[in-house]
Amino acid sequence: MISYTFIQVLISGVLLGGIYALISIGLTLIFGVIKVINFAHGEFLMLAMYFAYWMWHYWGVDPYASVIVLAALLFLIGAATQRGIIQPLLRSPASMQIFATVGLSVTLQNVALFLWKADYRTIQTAYQASKITIGELAIGYPRLVAFVGATAMTIIIFWFLKNTFTGRAIRAIAQDRMAAMLVGVNQKRMYMLAFGLGSACVGVAGGLLMPIYYVFPTVGTYFSLTAFVVVVLGGMGDIRGAWIGGIIIGLVEAISGFYVPALKEAVYFAIFILILLFRPSGILGLGRGFEEVAQE
Amino acid sequence: MKRWVWSLFILALLSALPLVVETQFYLHIFILTFLYASFANSWNLIGGYAGQLSLGHAAFFGIGAYACAIGSVKFGISPFIGLAIGVIIAVLVSAAIGYPCFRLRGPFYTLSTIAFAEVVRLLTLYWRDLTEGAVGILIPFKPGVANLIFSGKVPYYYIGLAMMALSTFLCYHVERSRFGYYLVAVREDEDAAEACGIRSARYKLYAAMISAAIAAVCGVFYVQYMLFIDPEGVFNLNVSIQAALMTIIGGAGTWLGPVVGAALLIPLGEFLRGWLGGAARGLHMAFYGIVLIVVVMVIPQGIVVTVKNLLKTKATRKVEEERR
Repeated sequence: MISYTFIQVLISGVLLGGIYALISIGLTLIFGVIKVINFAHGEFLMLAMYFAYWMWHYWGVDPYASVIVLAALLFLIGAATQRGIIQPLLRSPASMQIFATVGLSVTLQNVALFLWKADYRTIQTAYQASKITIGELAIGYPRLVAFVGATAMTIIIFWFLKNTFTGRAIRAIAQDRMAAMLVGVNQKRMYMLAFGLGSACVGVAGGLLMPIYYVFPTVGTYFSLTAFVVVVLGGMGDIRGAWIGGIIIGLVEAISGFYVPALKEAVYFAIFILILLFRPSGILGLGRGFEEVAQE
Repeated sequence: MKRWVWSLFILALLSALPLVVETQFYLHIFILTFLYASFANSWNLIGGYAGQLSLGHAAFFGIGAYACAIGSVKFGISPFIGLAIGVIIAVLVSAAIGYPCFRLRGPFYTLSTIAFAEVVRLLTLYWRDLTEGAVGILIPFKPGVANLIFSGKVPYYYIGLAMMALSTFLCYHVERSRFGYYLVAVREDEDAAEACGIRSARYKLYAAMISAAIAAVCGVFYVQYMLFIDPEGVFNLNVSIQAALMTIIGGAGTWLGPVVGAALLIPLGEFLRGWLGGAARGLHMAFYGIVLIVVVMVIPQGIVVTVKNLLKTKATRKVEEERR
């Protein structure tokens, strides 16, 4: 028989996976449309968490209530990054785009370190420790909210890309930049929109994470590392794959964290290399940029 | 010919420098510059010529440093053997990372290296028996050639200078060799290179392995000079980014670029750090970040190529005027 502890571990894994999924969907959306990996994605998450923290600190705004504001703020930051940094580099080699976002990441991280110091900051809420118990299983309320919120955001993004005219335009330009521009898709606007949407995902994630996690200037590094693994696992640019990948990595983290807590990240990396070796196009096989170059 | 004369002249000048400069701080800055120039040279091989961005070069650097430190402190092995072990491990590991990534297109190598460096950092923190975890390893100060430890800064200065000169010469040689042209061809157009019969995956892998070996040597130099090593000092993402940053600023894919980049950034960074002091923690890295963005957007080919173009146009202008 599977013990209750194990089921408990699985549940917390899935709940955590929801957040990973949301962060990774933002990253994979940006990559899928613009073909740029945003190495500052984790730092955007860090900014969102700090914004949530300061809103709670100064105005007593509940982090869940600030989610909408955070999404809007991060949307603007993302769109500005696309317009100001990525757009002028679109014709440059991919390495230059990577460096630009790496530079942005270093800058944001260290400006945060300078402004807000390396302290770990948390917020206190009334519902922080409350949980829902079903038999012997206990589910922390904030974790459940984070999972539900992340899933809701994921569904909204899905729905938007699938059913709206703008969403179709984004998908079209993701498939073929030239062809989409020829039929009149506004490339600049769609790219800004896609980058903004991808960043809004971490805005939402930041608000949802704040009651369960703490914020410090390098918090983004940890989450972006996880997101890289998830995105490769799901297939680069594949949103559905990223969601599944997020849940899988959440489960892996919960299980390996239960048995070999210190080696959690090593387990991730092993998975990462295995995917690259055996299924570089991701779980659903829809990833981009995986075309094999040569067989040695 | 002219290039040789200039290079030898600068080398002679740098060799004579410790006879004149006696301030320890300046010597220290020179040694750091040599070290980072060599490290950037190693990055340039894979990141510049082959166009495969590594954001985890700190891992190879750190593997070399830790192999040497653990060997000499825990097992009493000579640092020269430690150096060999470090280089071998770094090369093997880089092949293991490179193999799955170089068959593929897209930014997989970048993602793998960044993740790998983080994993190595965590493993070093975890294996406390071997690495002393976050405390770090302190190497006992026993000067002597056999221990590769010296009491003054001058020997380090010359070893560093030799390391920089050799690695720069290697890059210069690679740039003009068949191997170097293969790498550049693969960077510019992988399909075309393959069509010409270049096994792109194999040459990228070779470049990554040579690069890792040089990085490991730099790591050994670092630990023998500092006599202290901890995971934050060597495996930090900032270390990897600095190697890339210097190469890009100087000019990626040019043999002179990394040296120029290091000669600009290291003294600037040290003075900034001294000038800003502890109060402005993080500010000098933030400055690096901004510089990186600006360079990428304004002079993506780096200083060397930009200056060369400027000089060329001037010379061309002169010629044109004379013709008139």
